Amino acid sequence: MTKFSFSLHTGETGPLGKGSKPDRLRIPIPCHTPILAEGDQVLAGTKIAIANHDGSGDMHAPLAGTIKDILPYSMLIEVSGEDRADAKKAPSEGGTTLKEWLRDLGVNVKKMNRAATLIINAVPPEPGISIFDPLLRDYRKILELGLETIQRIVEPSKMFLVAAKGNRANAFANCTVMHVSPTYPNGLDEMVIKTVTGQETLPGTLPENTVILSVKDLYFIGRIMETGRPLIETVMTIGSQNHLVRVGTPVGFLAAEAGATPQPGDKIVLGGLMRGLAAVNLEQGVGKDTTGLHILREDEGLKPTNNFCIGCGECESHCPARIMPGMISRCAEFKQFERAETFHIHSCIECGICGYWCKAQRPLLQYIRLAKFELALLRETNGPSQPLIMEAETGQTGEKE
Amino acid sequence: MTKPLEPILTVSAPPHVHCGRTIKNYMAENLVALMPAVIMAIYIFGLGALRVMALSCAVAVMSEAICNKLMKREQSIDDFNGLLTGLLFAFLLPASAPWWLVTIGASSSIILGKMIFGGLGGNPLSAPLVGWALCRISWGEFMDTNATMLSSNLAAPLQQLKYFGLESIQTIESSALIMGEQLGGLGEVHIAALLVGGLFLIIRRHISWVIPTGFIAGVLITGWIYNLIDPTTYATPLFHLLAGGTIFGAFFLATDPAASPIGRIPCILFGLIAGAMVIVIRVYGIYPDGVPFAILLANLFTPLLDRIRPKPFGGPCTSTKINKEGVTCEKCCG
Repeated sequence: MTKFSFSLHTGETGPLGKGSKPDRLRIPIPCHTPILAEGDQVLAGTKIAIANHDGSGDMHAPLAGTIKDILPYSMLIEVSGEDRADAKKAPSEGGTTLKEWLRDLGVNVKKMNRAATLIINAVPPEPGISIFDPLLRDYRKILELGLETIQRIVEPSKMFLVAAKGNRANAFANCTVMHVSPTYPNGLDEMVIKTVTGQETLPGTLPENTVILSVKDLYFIGRIMETGRPLIETVMTIGSQNHLVRVGTPVGFLAAEAGATPQPGDKIVLGGLMRGLAAVNLEQGVGKDTTGLHILREDEGLKPTNNFCIGCGECESHCPARIMPGMISRCAEFKQFERAETFHIHSCIECGICGYWCKAQRPLLQYIRLAKFELALLRETNGPSQPLIMEAETGQTGEKE
Repeated sequence: MTKPLEPILTVSAPPHVHCGRTIKNYMAENLVALMPAVIMAIYIFGLGALRVMALSCAVAVMSEAICNKLMKREQSIDDFNGLLTGLLFAFLLPASAPWWLVTIGASSSIILGKMIFGGLGGNPLSAPLVGWALCRISWGEFMDTNATMLSSNLAAPLQQLKYFGLESIQTIESSALIMGEQLGGLGEVHIAALLVGGLFLIIRRHISWVIPTGFIAGVLITGWIYNLIDPTTYATPLFHLLAGGTIFGAFFLATDPAASPIGRIPCILFGLIAGAMVIVIRVYGIYPDGVPFAILLANLFTPLLDRIRPKPFGGPCTSTKINKEGVTCEKCCG
């Protein structure tokens, strides 16, 4: 895979295609509680699950049909038609009422607080993902409607549109356009916030007095305002084309539509190749945040090994967060998770660049995620009031139980 | 959903792409970079050099294989690191080294230098130098290139400087030093050939330019200071650069991935420390060539130098900044 390039140029993309109608949908409900039971009939747009976390959007049925199966992380719907539930009317007031209305229709509004600065991220999140390009070109009216809606919630005094140099970006009204160099990882939210405000935001926390949303968010909010129907789709780059795909469409269906036949041992990646999620089987459905589909043959891509870290420093020299992924992975390898904090594990933006360059082909990002996960569990059992002191300078791991 | 369905797909954490570089490839290209010097060694020192190199490589690989067997670990000799360590160790020996010396040195390079620390990546010191130091301290007379190669007509610049003063080296031409016409370790003296190999490694991005530059700068600056103090007693910085194993150390020994720091500023400091120590040992030490000990000493600074870090992204993490939900659950909630 030496042909892989970090360039974020999208080139010419065709019009936004519409995904075909699959006969079954497997809707991911990772952090949701189902409100319907097996055997229930649903219409397109019927609410089927409520989000467990503040700000996350509820889940709605993309098509009409019957609920066949409810598993802890997914719900299977056998599609029978396209009959739609009634559209809802948008509230006339802004602020929290509008925010709650959007959340009710499936939008993740966690980030949409009142803030002075609103950033619209139009930089492709990863190489090979060009979803913003057709939206910016062909759906300007909807994007403008989406932006107006967000302004009613955020009430910003300044707005920025950030795009990669060389890619299409026409400013909206009252919006300053900023350009970043078209290389990964410049399109990740943390990097874009840094470009605009000059401030670095610790990953996993919300930036101060700044809201960042993507062009895709604008598009779907615009669509919801226009139609009064919930968010049931995502935009995905498949091959070089972009498609509007219903949430829950099985990856096997998408692969077959694209003319690919997955063989045993292949890897199907939902999202980009640097940060995407590997599908567990062909039945897995796409989620609201899925941005692409890639198929890697068995002999392609990274083959993780259990080699030791040889300390070459390649990961560290390429790390945009200026941390030492190699040392963190060693800590995680030997279950010294608290020690990983002295190497600033929380600064990791999970771009995956360390694993790309690792000569020993260690699964560095996996080790980092494992350590983050274990640390979160550790903090939870310690209670939220437990002070957490990380003094790398003195080499102390802080207070332990 | 979790039960296997045909076809069974591969799953793994991202990233799903890789640059294609491997440990084996790194070691193999290091060996390629040493080839010009191997050829020069055979050309100048004859079959004796070939004998030492072949024996050292064979013993190193065998030692690693046996260690892996005894430690019940997966066999690792196919990553070529044992071979590379053996060859690097041989480069430091005189061509006249007896077989038992080569055997003890090469095996202790692997066992004491690398395997007891857990294998490749765990070694705190450059492995070939550990074997060299053991032999140099235990059997100094056999390791002395000048004393063991009396039949040779070549000059031994560092020994002459040490024992006969500056006048004795005035006749030695820099061009002869560059072409490797000097006594020293059988591979470490071929300056031109090693420069070619070192530049190859830098162009192929297997090593960074930082450590060699720092090392050479350290040698030149410290040598120049001594030369300024008294030009009649101390040799020129250029002489120190071209005599003995300075170039070999700068490109092949100091850049050992595990034993050198990472990060630009630590690497420059590491190089400067090692380079300065070379001159200090050559001027004050009892050993004519200070390169191996200088690098070993600098290796000991590595954990300390690694503490020099830039501010991490978003600043050091404190309790108020951690949004627990954000850390654990951001990925799964659409």
